[in-house]
Amino acid sequence: MRRARQVTQITALLVFMALLLATGGGQFPAAPPSLFFKLDPLAMLTSIIAKRQWVSGVAMGGVTLLATLALGRAWCGWVCPLGTALDLFRPRNPSRLKATRLERWRAVKYILLIGALGAALAANLTLLALDPISILTRGLATFLPGLNRILLSAERALYNIEPLQSAIDWFELAVRAPLFSADVWRWWNTLPSLLLVGVVALNTVAERFWCRYLCPLGGLLGLISRVAIVRRVVSQAACRHCARCARACPTATIDPNKNYASDPAECTVCLDCLPACPSASGQSFSPVWQVSPTQEYDPSRRQAISALGAGLAAAAVYPLLPAELRRQPQLIRPPGAQPAHADGDNEFLSACIRCGECIKVCPTSGLQPALLEAGLDGWWTPTLIPRLGYCDYSCHACGQVCPTGAIPNLPLEAKRAAVMGKAELDRARCLPWRDNTPCIVCEEMCPLAPKAVEVDTFYITDPTGQMIEIQRPHVIPDRCIGCGICEFKCPVEGPAAIQVTGKHF
Amino acid sequence: MLTRRQFIQHLLAMGVSATSLAAFLKACVPPVAAPTATPILPSPTFALPPTATAAASTTVPGSPQAPALPTPPPTSGEAYLAVARGDDPAELTRRAVKAIGGIERFVRPGQSVIIKPNICVAYHGPEYAATTNPQVVGALVALCLEAGASTVSAMDYPFGGTPEQAYKISQIGQAVSDAGGKMVVMSPIKFKSTEIPTGKDIRNWVVFQDALKADVIIDVPIAKHHNLTRLTLAAKNMMGLVENRPSLHSNLGERLVDLATLFKPKLIVVDAYRMLMTHGPTGGDLNDVRLMKTVIASHDIVAADAYATTLFGLKPEQIAYVKAGAARGLGTMDLQSIKIEEISV
Repeated sequence: MRRARQVTQITALLVFMALLLATGGGQFPAAPPSLFFKLDPLAMLTSIIAKRQWVSGVAMGGVTLLATLALGRAWCGWVCPLGTALDLFRPRNPSRLKATRLERWRAVKYILLIGALGAALAANLTLLALDPISILTRGLATFLPGLNRILLSAERALYNIEPLQSAIDWFELAVRAPLFSADVWRWWNTLPSLLLVGVVALNTVAERFWCRYLCPLGGLLGLISRVAIVRRVVSQAACRHCARCARACPTATIDPNKNYASDPAECTVCLDCLPACPSASGQSFSPVWQVSPTQEYDPSRRQAISALGAGLAAAAVYPLLPAELRRQPQLIRPPGAQPAHADGDNEFLSACIRCGECIKVCPTSGLQPALLEAGLDGWWTPTLIPRLGYCDYSCHACGQVCPTGAIPNLPLEAKRAAVMGKAELDRARCLPWRDNTPCIVCEEMCPLAPKAVEVDTFYITDPTGQMIEIQRPHVIPDRCIGCGICEFKCPVEGPAAIQVTGKHF
Repeated sequence: MLTRRQFIQHLLAMGVSATSLAAFLKACVPPVAAPTATPILPSPTFALPPTATAAASTTVPGSPQAPALPTPPPTSGEAYLAVARGDDPAELTRRAVKAIGGIERFVRPGQSVIIKPNICVAYHGPEYAATTNPQVVGALVALCLEAGASTVSAMDYPFGGTPEQAYKISQIGQAVSDAGGKMVVMSPIKFKSTEIPTGKDIRNWVVFQDALKADVIIDVPIAKHHNLTRLTLAAKNMMGLVENRPSLHSNLGERLVDLATLFKPKLIVVDAYRMLMTHGPTGGDLNDVRLMKTVIASHDIVAADAYATTLFGLKPEQIAYVKAGAARGLGTMDLQSIKIEEISV
């Protein structure tokens, strides 16, 4: 059984990694993109609550819920790629007996879950940044460009050594180019990756610390597991009180003081306790038709209501914060995403689970996770930073991989017409305007037909008294879609002479 | 546990090996000439294209001597430049190349060939005339292979969209692989700062190294509109082989000639089957496309561009890089002085 579980876990992790690595450069696996987010009932549930709309593929999350109803938190022990990653980085000699001083922390995952649901009721999904699939996807999506940069500079350095060139050519074609597309990396991209590293590092405090104490998805599946059909049952007659099952349990939920009973809300159905038991019929996983007893660490009704209220209140009170702490409407959101309303309402933020899929797929790396520039509740939501990368006129991948429809899945023609912002020209910085240096790069780059940047020819007298002819660009705002390629390519050093400002109502 | 002594010993050992490794790696790297700053602003000798007639045609004292042509002019019989008109782009290409001496004049058995079409964006299919006609490129690949080329690869580095997508949308990827050539995505590690000894305005730029190693470069632009240079032709098409392109735009004419003297394309085939008359280089409107059904071939990049210019009703001297190329001896823009063969297919 242990072998079967490990094979399942590794398979799921490999599928996850393959899907993630195949997502990039505007390309993504045909079916189904964002599979694990669709299977994640927390992501699906909170986004339909916050969006007040159905999300396509939500039924797949329902499948996970039904499986949990039948088998308990088997998702956590058998499928969840973050859980598998934690198992891979398991402490060498885990102390698996109950760490009593930490028992109270088991409530945190429920508090986070209820807080996230409360905030979702108030149309806010900020806490989804703590969804486990989100943590893993976003952590890797923002870390891999950094790794790519390291590989690239290593390749460049070694490429100078003649005998190594063919080997590097092979590596470049077979490994780096197919697996890594993005190479834009900012220092605060380390934060999502650091969260992932932190989650793994907590394993040294207690095995599967994240799953036991913090995971809001674990909390949701744990709640359902209380009425799950198949549960671990200890046969009091056959039990020899040897405590080997307790020592084998990675979530330390088998309590020697309670006749080795376990809390189904904590059990990940890993089945490691079965072979540990010296007695053939000491324990089994069999149908139980009653609600599991409450545990001392379960949140009280008062705590649960407080968490719900806090989630609701935090989201509801948000518009009262000082304007500079609120979401900034000049941010450029992915194509088709709803722009922010002046009053702070924001359908995009109410649907974005901060998963990082769009950031991973963006072929130019223009999409980057916001830190605080999108407001306190907008952290790690995607924004286009044209100086780092533009929105490719031929690409509509972000809408196709978005698991919740926060970025609508637009056909290419509709995406090409979707306005993300407007370009504005700064004549004080623009080369032909400021010092008669010929340059029409913004006009040349504009992908539209007719172009949103046009040039006029001026005949002027230069400082030496000579009559010269110079082309100077100007923007036609009604045509501009805000793709940002003009800002990206502008040769002016420092801030571009043409800049895109996000669309807002 | 490590004793203090062991720790210091380990530290020393690591330090020594790291230093020697670094020294070894450094020794392996060929010494690089001190990088000259790439000028962003125009150089003092900069001349504006249309009005400053005198400045551009006079040779600036101390400027490098006229670069030798990569391929010598035809010796006997063959045309200096061929123009083929007709319905089949592939056949036009074959006939035009044949008229200037055949592919054997440019590609010898065993040589490596890089074909450089214009695949500047991943936005529209070939009917929009923003990218080179795939059949022209395919015909050239087949010709090179018939001539016994060891490898024939085609590539461009689009400024809009990914190369993979641009190769697909332009249909050039398919045409090249159908003809037996290799479509190559230009790897970022192969761009390196390179000296341009024959450069006048730029003496150093970051360029694609494989293009310098190839035996033969065939330059296959599509004739189309461009606001700054008026037209994008063969000399402008070489821009796809360099980095930091936006910064080239000040004094683009001279700088394009500098790049042409570096890459030395041996054969120029200008695709004027469809011409983009305005809203170039990206295009996107079929009303801007004129069906010209013409392919031009020559060994002379200046003459080929000069001829293509006339198809737009413009004069060669109106195109800064054609004029600069002629002034610097890269080729001739005097179409009266050369033997032109016109073919109807």
